[in-house]
Amino acid sequence: MANWVPLWLHRLGSPPVFYRFAGAVRPWALGLALVLGAVALYGGLFVAPADYQQGDAYRIIFIHVPSAWMSLFIYGAMAVAAFIGLVWRIKIAETVAMESAPVGAAFTFITLVTGSLWGKPMWGTWWTWDARLTSELVLLFIYLGVIGLYHSFEDRRQGARAASFLVLVGAVNVPIVHFSVNWWNTLHQGSTVRLLGPSHIEASMLWPLLTMMAATKLYYIASLFARARADLVASESGKGWVRDLLAGRTGNDPA
Amino acid sequence: MSHAFAMGDYGFYVWSAVAVFFIVLLIDTLAPLARRRRNLRELRARLARQENRRRPGTPPSNESDA
Amino acid sequence: MRPGSTSAACAALLRRDLTLAWRRRGDIALPVLYAVIVATLFPFALGPDPALLSRIAGGVVFVTVLLAILLSLDQLFRADIEDGSMEQLMLAPQPLALLVAMKILAHWITAALPLIVVAPLLAGMLRLPPEAMPVLVAALLLATPLLSLMGAVLVALTAGTRRSGMLLALMLLPLCVPVVIFAAGAVAAAQEGLPWIAPIAWLGAGLALALVLAPLACAAALRIAMDT
Repeated sequence: MANWVPLWLHRLGSPPVFYRFAGAVRPWALGLALVLGAVALYGGLFVAPADYQQGDAYRIIFIHVPSAWMSLFIYGAMAVAAFIGLVWRIKIAETVAMESAPVGAAFTFITLVTGSLWGKPMWGTWWTWDARLTSELVLLFIYLGVIGLYHSFEDRRQGARAASFLVLVGAVNVPIVHFSVNWWNTLHQGSTVRLLGPSHIEASMLWPLLTMMAATKLYYIASLFARARADLVASESGKGWVRDLLAGRTGNDPA
Repeated sequence: MSHAFAMGDYGFYVWSAVAVFFIVLLIDTLAPLARRRRNLRELRARLARQENRRRPGTPPSNESDA
Repeated sequence: MRPGSTSAACAALLRRDLTLAWRRRGDIALPVLYAVIVATLFPFALGPDPALLSRIAGGVVFVTVLLAILLSLDQLFRADIEDGSMEQLMLAPQPLALLVAMKILAHWITAALPLIVVAPLLAGMLRLPPEAMPVLVAALLLATPLLSLMGAVLVALTAGTRRSGMLLALMLLPLCVPVVIFAAGAVAAAQEGLPWIAPIAWLGAGLALALVLAPLACAAALRIAMDT
C-alpha cells in the first residue's frame, strides 16, 4: 500500500483538518443518502410485489431491517473508535465515538418503533418479548447509558474516556445478552414468529433493501460529521484555528 | 395510484413506520447544525467581550447580538 | 505475612472496610429492610393467591435483591473518594486491581450476604416451593457476587461525577439482564422439576470470568474517572 494512506489518516487526526474534511464530505454524503433512500423507498413501497403471506405490511422491512443493521453497525464503529481513543488518546477518535452514540440510539429507536408497528398487524400486539426485539431494547439502554455517562462529567474529555470504557464493556456484553435472551425465549416458549419475513428473498425485494442499507450508512457518515463539527467548535474553542474560523480568515466556511 | 398508497389494509402501519423514520432522522440532522451554530455564536460573543475588556473605551456590547 | 507485602495490604484493607461497616451497623440493615418492604408489597398489589405468588416468587426475589444491591452500590467508593483514601490506594505499590477486589469483597459481605440470608424467608412468604429453595440460595450465591463485581466497574466509572443514582441503574440494567435471566431461570426450572444445572453452570462461568476481569476493569475505570 502506498504510504500516503497512513499519512493522510494521521493528518485527519488533527482537529482543524478533520473539521474541514467533514464539512466538505457531509453535504455529498447527505445528498447521496437522500437520493439512494428515495430510490430504495420507491422500489420497496411501490415496485416490489406484495408478500403472499403478509400482504403489504411486510414493506416495513425496508425501513426496519436497515435500521436494525445500522443500530449494530454504529455500535461496532463506536467500539472501534472508543478503543482507538482509549489506547492512543486520539482526540478525534473520542469525538467520533461519543458523537456516534446519539445516531445509534436514533436508529435503535426507529428499529423498536417500526418493529412494533410491524408486530401489531402480524402478531396482533404492539410488543412481544421476542428475542430480537428484547435485545434491541437492551441495546437502546446501553446507548442511553453511554450518552448519560458522557454528559455527567464536567470535563468533556474525561467524560469521553469514561464513556468509551463503557462502550467497550457494552461490546463484551451485547453478545452475552443476545445469547441469554435467546435461551430465555426458548425456556419460556415465547412467540417464534420469524421477523425477517420470507427466507427466500426475491431480487425485486433485495435491491431496495441493499440500496436502503447504503443510504443509511451514508446518512450515518453525514450525521456523524455534522455532530463532530459541532462538538469540535465547542471543545477546541480556545485554539487558534477556531478563532480564524470565526474571523472568516479561512473564507470558505460561513457560520 | 390511491390504491398503491393504501397498502392493502396496512396503510396506517406502513406509513407510520415511514413517518417515524423520517421524523427521527430529520431531528437527528437538524440538532447538530443548530448546536454548531449556537456554539459559534456563544464563542463569538465571548471573543467580543474579551475584546471590549481590552479596550475599555468602547461601550459594552450585548451578548446576544455579537 | 510480612508488613507491606501485597497479602498483608489486602488483609488490612479488608479488615478496615469490615470494621468501618460494623461501626455503622444500621447502614447494613437498610438494604435488607428495603428488600423486605418491596417483597411485602407484591402480595398487596397482586392479591394473596398462592398459585400466582409461587409462580412469581423466584423472579420477585431476584429483582428485589438486585434493586437492594443497586441501592448499596452507590456507596461503594464514595466515602473513600471524599476523604482522599482512594488516591492513597491508587498510589500504593500494591496492584490496584487486588485492592479494589478486596473492597468489592467487603461490599459483598456487608451488603449481599445479609440479603442472601433473608432471601429464603422472603421466598417462603411468597410461597416458593421448599424443593426450589436450595436452588434459589445457590443461584443467589453465584449471582450476587457477579452483580457486585459488575456494579463496581460502573460505580468506578461514575466516580468523577456528581450524584449519579439513576445513571447507575441505567448503566447496570443491560449488564444484569443475563444474570437475572439465568438466576431466575434456574429457580423456575427447579420449580417445574426440570434440570436446573445448566443455568447455574452459566452463572458460575460468568462469575469465574468476572472474578478475573472485573477487578482489572474496575481499576482501569477508576484511573480514568479519577484522572484530573
